[in-house]
Amino acid sequence: MGRGIGERLAQKIQSLTFLMVGQNRNPLQFFPYLTIAAFLAPIILGLVGTWLPAFGYLPIIGADDFTLQSYRELLAHPSLPGALRSTLISGLSATLISLFLSLWITAHLYGTAFWSFIQRTLAPLLAIPHAAFALGLTFLIAPSGWLIRLFSPGLTGFVFPPDWATTRDPLAISLTITMIFKEVPFLLLMTIGALNQLDIKRTVWVGRSLGFQKFKVWMRLVIPQLYPMLRLPVLAVLAYSLSVVDLALIIGPSLPPPLAVLIDRWFNDPDLSMRLIGAAGATLLFIVITFFIGVFIVVEHVVAMLTRPRLLNGLRHSWWGQMKSTATLAAVTVITTTGLSLFLLSLWSVAKNWRFPDALPRHLSLFYWTKSLPLIVEPFLTAAAVGLSSAVIAIILVLGCLENELHLSRSKIDSISQKSILIIYLPLLIPQIGFLFGIQTIVTNLHIEGSWFSLIWVHLVFVLPYIFLTLATTYRNYDQRYVQVATILSGSSLHSFFRVKVVMLTKPILFSLAVGFAVSIAQYLPTLYVGAGRFATITTETVSLASGSDRRVIAVYALCQFLLPFLVYSLAIWLPALLFRNRQLMKN
Amino acid sequence: MASGSVVQEQAVNEKLTDETMSLILDSLQINLGGSELFSPVSLTVEAGQILTVMGPSGCGKSTLLASICGNLDPGFSLSGTIQLGDRILNNIPMEQRRIGILFQDDLLFPHLDVFGNMAFGLPSILTMEQKRERINSALAMAGLSGFERRDIGTLSGGQKARVSLLRSLLAEPEAILLDEPFSKLDKQLRQNIREFVFQQITKLAIPALLVTHDADDAPEGNILELKNGNYHA
Repeated sequence: MGRGIGERLAQKIQSLTFLMVGQNRNPLQFFPYLTIAAFLAPIILGLVGTWLPAFGYLPIIGADDFTLQSYRELLAHPSLPGALRSTLISGLSATLISLFLSLWITAHLYGTAFWSFIQRTLAPLLAIPHAAFALGLTFLIAPSGWLIRLFSPGLTGFVFPPDWATTRDPLAISLTITMIFKEVPFLLLMTIGALNQLDIKRTVWVGRSLGFQKFKVWMRLVIPQLYPMLRLPVLAVLAYSLSVVDLALIIGPSLPPPLAVLIDRWFNDPDLSMRLIGAAGATLLFIVITFFIGVFIVVEHVVAMLTRPRLLNGLRHSWWGQMKSTATLAAVTVITTTGLSLFLLSLWSVAKNWRFPDALPRHLSLFYWTKSLPLIVEPFLTAAAVGLSSAVIAIILVLGCLENELHLSRSKIDSISQKSILIIYLPLLIPQIGFLFGIQTIVTNLHIEGSWFSLIWVHLVFVLPYIFLTLATTYRNYDQRYVQVATILSGSSLHSFFRVKVVMLTKPILFSLAVGFAVSIAQYLPTLYVGAGRFATITTETVSLASGSDRRVIAVYALCQFLLPFLVYSLAIWLPALLFRNRQLMKN
Repeated sequence: MASGSVVQEQAVNEKLTDETMSLILDSLQINLGGSELFSPVSLTVEAGQILTVMGPSGCGKSTLLASICGNLDPGFSLSGTIQLGDRILNNIPMEQRRIGILFQDDLLFPHLDVFGNMAFGLPSILTMEQKRERINSALAMAGLSGFERRDIGTLSGGQKARVSLLRSLLAEPEAILLDEPFSKLDKQLRQNIREFVFQQITKLAIPALLVTHDADDAPEGNILELKNGNYHA
């Protein structure tokens, strides 16, 4: 045993030596450190920069005594109970329902023709930014929305919009529904990636040959293997749903709003002392999310333990297995609602007069496009530039980290960097509002607020995890023997990397770039907090217009917000298809 | 709906009778995009008999197994009859055909230990104690006593192959299909596992179809050769 520890210690030292000062210096070794530094620095500094004011220390506004006064004021604030209630209702329900629906849809429909259709629709569904979708959904389900117009006045008798709270309801149900519609496609995408690592076809075959109904095979054999691979995306959905701001501003309750929105208000209050309460609120939200992530993990283990005997009870059929139509209905609802939201945005953007209860506009016009476009150009281009820069930098860092990981595993080195690279996922699990204020304070002190550098950097923090998440599995599964053959033939490992590996992986690399770009486009708070008012992106403009502008102007902005990721997703899909149109084996 | 499930469940539980049955293929043909994979196959595999299916890559060996199992990919169509005992299987779902399958990969379920993998296919009417007895005796027979709680990741290739076969056999199939199950094993292990598999099939008296590239794997008896769209029995 002692020898084992000694060997492991020697291996660690060898690993560190190799990484830091080894003679065979590996140029890739810097990528994990660079990547982690790019993350840890802003997150740790951001958290500290938020926690210090939470305890009363913010010298810039003259607060330099450590005190618990902010927490006392926070806990006594009349909006806090309501804000916490709507946060928990929307965040927890959206996560649980999204997870349930994505697994339900997969278990029932995987391998069917409709599943292939769902796979094809995922990219456009994901391309629609949350804010644009929420606005489209508002046009659909609001009291003056299209659904009520469709049946009015004929069936409802309404000649004016009814006084119903179908959006911005106090229990945050509309916010929950909006998040479900957006998170189900995300979890389905993650599920597809995870399923590629399992031998589903033959697992289902073995299960069914043992006499089990297909649904039972999924519940007992596939999902227990699948879920551990989905854990991180699910926790990311949980953290996001509990701390979302832009969606909540558009479709969430306002009196009081969810906690993240309330904190954002405090941070931007003209009364500077409110920043201390905001920081205390941000710390509370951080604790709430950490607590529920812990609860989720504990519950997951308890459920696994309690259901284990059922796995072996030998029952081959279940009534639930005959409910395929409900899965089809759920998938159709997600797809058609998203499609309808997009259609309504398009319709509103060209509507001249569209009074209630008309189901369609009386006159169409491009007036609001021509009026808005000159104002949109700058935020549109800013968003594109930041999105492209952060996505490209992130791709380079991720490729470097993954290549380094490969290099270390070939060298049989138990890589510390390989494990610590998991830190990349931190920004997905920590609420943005929990550390953005700290980052804002720090970039202000460093005099880099409102610069391209700080803006791209802060976007990179959120873009990189998603790129890692979408690319890592495919990249790790790549058959490295192709590179070996190419290196032997060409005599250059760099040549074989770029001319063989990167080219063969064009499709997943471009797709993850598109995902990263879409994530950057959707960033609202990071742009506001670090942009220092000098940068407006299409997203910040769309969200700020959402609260009270003309529906037609909002529709034009929301469509432009959708246009950017849609273009990049389309390129990511069509470019490899075009480049490799005569290469049968490159199609998968 | 629920009553249908109960009937199916009972069918699974009612197995383990002493009756033996044959697997009969009558004019079986598989079609893909208008062309036939091989000329119509008619044969009978008696209980306890192992029929070897051989032929070059792409001749349709594995597709033949998939058709018997009821797992043909979309795009393939089937004509002729597949009969097991007195049941015509053509329109019966895969899970109700009671045909076990063994691949070259063991496909043991990684989230379950050895006991879990073997208990998975046992009939639901058995109590946990009865399940334990059956599993222990099967493991003892395979020289794997004491392996019940072993993680499958810690098993050797031969041990995995044996557990995989036992899992299929404990589910009491009425026939078994072997899709190159020995191809990944080394020579010595291959011979041991081959003998073990053939012994079990003879002992259970069920018909078996073995697909292989290697003539050494074929037991004495009938060989079906699929070649150039034709077959020779």
